[in-house]
Amino acid sequence: MIKASVEPWIEAPLKRFVDDAGVVLALLLHPTGQVQAQHGFTRAVDIMSACALAAAIHVSSAELGRQLDGKPFGGLHHAGKERQVFLAETQTQRGPYILLTVFDHESSLGLVQLYFDEFRANLAGAAPIPVAPPAVTLNEDFEKELNSNLNFLFGRA
Amino acid sequence: MSTAFTLMLDALTKQRGVRASLVAGADDGVTIDSNMQIGQEGTRVAALAASLYRKARRSAKTAGLGATGFMQLEAEAGRLCIIGSDEIVLIVVAERDANIGLIRVEMLRATKELG
Repeated sequence: MIKASVEPWIEAPLKRFVDDAGVVLALLLHPTGQVQAQHGFTRAVDIMSACALAAAIHVSSAELGRQLDGKPFGGLHHAGKERQVFLAETQTQRGPYILLTVFDHESSLGLVQLYFDEFRANLAGAAPIPVAPPAVTLNEDFEKELNSNLNFLFGRA
Repeated sequence: MSTAFTLMLDALTKQRGVRASLVAGADDGVTIDSNMQIGQEGTRVAALAASLYRKARRSAKTAGLGATGFMQLEAEAGRLCIIGSDEIVLIVVAERDANIGLIRVEMLRATKELG
């Protein structure tokens, strides 16, 4: 069975966002590219690719925002012919997370933005206070931790 | 900042019982312009109302009823009136005792002016 989240406190806010906004795919990750939760994915390799691309796009667009506007952009939206992508950062006591979501004509950018604001508040409210500062993922451990999270989500742990 | 819709929205909001009028994208539900007397809920109203109208249009089309025109939602404390095209939707939030006939005429006129 495919699990929704690596940490249980993320599951309810993400499920509510997915249900309310009517999105097809959702992925919550650390800015480093480590997956934390997912909805709609069926293959670990797709999550791995999406996390890597989302983290890269997020850091690039944040820098572009800093260059143009003096601060990172609040969110990024790309409208394709059939599907659209929305990517934005959210802050919690556990640190920042990135939400990548894909939606089609069943939803809309307005709805996704509306429910993302609620998700942001719900996630911040659900995040437990960390007992120790968040551990920094070292480059040498990155793949091991990514695989560990993917194995957990796909029931291979 | 005024837009091509500002004067139209001002005129609609001057109607008795109208609490807010908004123009939003039909597909994305993002507010283009608004004249609000109901606080900061404009973006939420626009997103949800545009979604409602889009689904109503699809329902009518699927049922073989053709194009959707004026749509009215009656709630306990007021009414939501929506009219639109493929590109934009015009949304009016009105009190329950507002003159809906007059508001409907004004909304139809406004959408004709917008082409």
